Amino acid sequence: MDSCDVERLNELLEQDVELREKIKDQVTDLDKKTRNMVGVLNKIHSTSPESIPGLIDSVRPMLHSCQTTSAAMAALIPPSQFWRWKEMWTNSLRTAIFSAALVEFLATGKLISLPEVCQILGIKDEWKGRFALPVEDYLHGLISLVNELSRLAVNAVTLGNFEAPIQISIFVKDLFAGFSMLNLKNDTLRRRFDSLKYDLKKIEEVVYDVSLRKLAPPPQGGRQI
Amino acid sequence: MGTHRESVVGAFEEFRQEIDEHHDRRERLIKISRDATNLSKKVIFLLHRTMIEESNNDSNPSLRVVRRGREKLREVQALYAQIRLEVQAERFWLYHRAVSPGLQEYIEALGFAHYLEHGTMVSYEQVQLSLSDENGIPYFTLPKEDYLLGLSDVTGELMRFAISGIAQKGGRARAREVCAFVRQCKAGKSVSLTIVCKDFERFTPYVKELSKKQAVTSQSLEKIEDAVYAIVVRGSEYDIPPDMLDDLIAQSISTFSSTTNAKSRLGQRDVRSGDDYDDEI
Repeated sequence: MDSCDVERLNELLEQDVELREKIKDQVTDLDKKTRNMVGVLNKIHSTSPESIPGLIDSVRPMLHSCQTTSAAMAALIPPSQFWRWKEMWTNSLRTAIFSAALVEFLATGKLISLPEVCQILGIKDEWKGRFALPVEDYLHGLISLVNELSRLAVNAVTLGNFEAPIQISIFVKDLFAGFSMLNLKNDTLRRRFDSLKYDLKKIEEVVYDVSLRKLAPPPQGGRQI
Repeated sequence: MGTHRESVVGAFEEFRQEIDEHHDRRERLIKISRDATNLSKKVIFLLHRTMIEESNNDSNPSLRVVRRGREKLREVQALYAQIRLEVQAERFWLYHRAVSPGLQEYIEALGFAHYLEHGTMVSYEQVQLSLSDENGIPYFTLPKEDYLLGLSDVTGELMRFAISGIAQKGGRARAREVCAFVRQCKAGKSVSLTIVCKDFERFTPYVKELSKKQAVTSQSLEKIEDAVYAIVVRGSEYDIPPDMLDDLIAQSISTFSSTTNAKSRLGQRDVRSGDDYDDEI
């Protein structure tokens, strides 16, 4: 092995190490932001329906602050190397996606779309190859959303909100129908998808309890199949 | 709410398509990578085998042997040319784990052939160039990690090469050459490997792989060193030039082999030329 060859190779490897350090700093930053968001969003379990909009409004600026991180990442990562480094921020990004999806659900009762998440987190199409939002991560974020909603269904009833479980039930069933269409391999996504049925069951039980005692009006638009 | 479900299902239909495409492509690449591994392994065996066969009747057989090896390696290169479009731009790193094992095996075969021909280690640029089209445009950018991991394996082949050839003409001098070379490689590589290890601390499988390979290199080196030691010690007992020693040994081997019955020799040859014996280190 040529010694000057080794030198050059080592130089290149050192550069990768430096890049990794820089990305790590950004991930730490993103982690801080997502932790704060999740902390605030945790209050939904103890907040009355009237105060929810105020709570959401306090999370929105935090979500938007992720845009600076996205831009910083896109600037750091060399062209076409997105997948090389992606593993570093996967978890943080999934939490951010989850937060965005939860906020959207609480605000509109709808499922946030992938392009909408990109827009909120400031991830631009032209960064493709450097920084992007893969479908897989979006789906992971949605499963976290279902996990959270099954808790919310229970706690909403405790707070006296008897309609929430029904709304959640319909939403989650739609989502489950979507997930059922995917051909998943034996990976983490598949395992987490498999656990969705327990969330579904939990929500069903709450809806059952509430309807049985006639605490909530029957869902509008007739029966959901 | 019915419209909500429709929009959800519509979106997931697109996801399904994307996910299916991804899995299919990954499967294809894994298959091709496996083919590349197998072909490269065959090249390595071919090189070992022909080196042993040819060195009996020629003083400098490496060139002919290497030419045959390189021909075979062109088949592997053709495989990589074939996946070029599948791993374009950012997709290469998406499928890196599928492609990496075959790539390392290819580098090992190429590195071994290169050593036999030039007596040096193949450089990163040379490997990259071998994975480029006729205009010199790379099929993909070769990861430095794979290059280093592939080189680690070359030292194992060199060990086998040195030891199996030790009883042949010029084999002892060759063993000492290889010994010095591997020692140098190990030193150069261990610097790089510490960097890579540091770099990949998050990917535990990589670190394990790296330190394992480095340990194997040390082991190989030790084996060669032991063999060279034996040569020096025993050689010192006779005060004759190495060329004469070679002739002496060749003579005794030929008288020995003419007296052994042909049947057992035939059997031995068969084992040696079998392509699928296990890779033992």
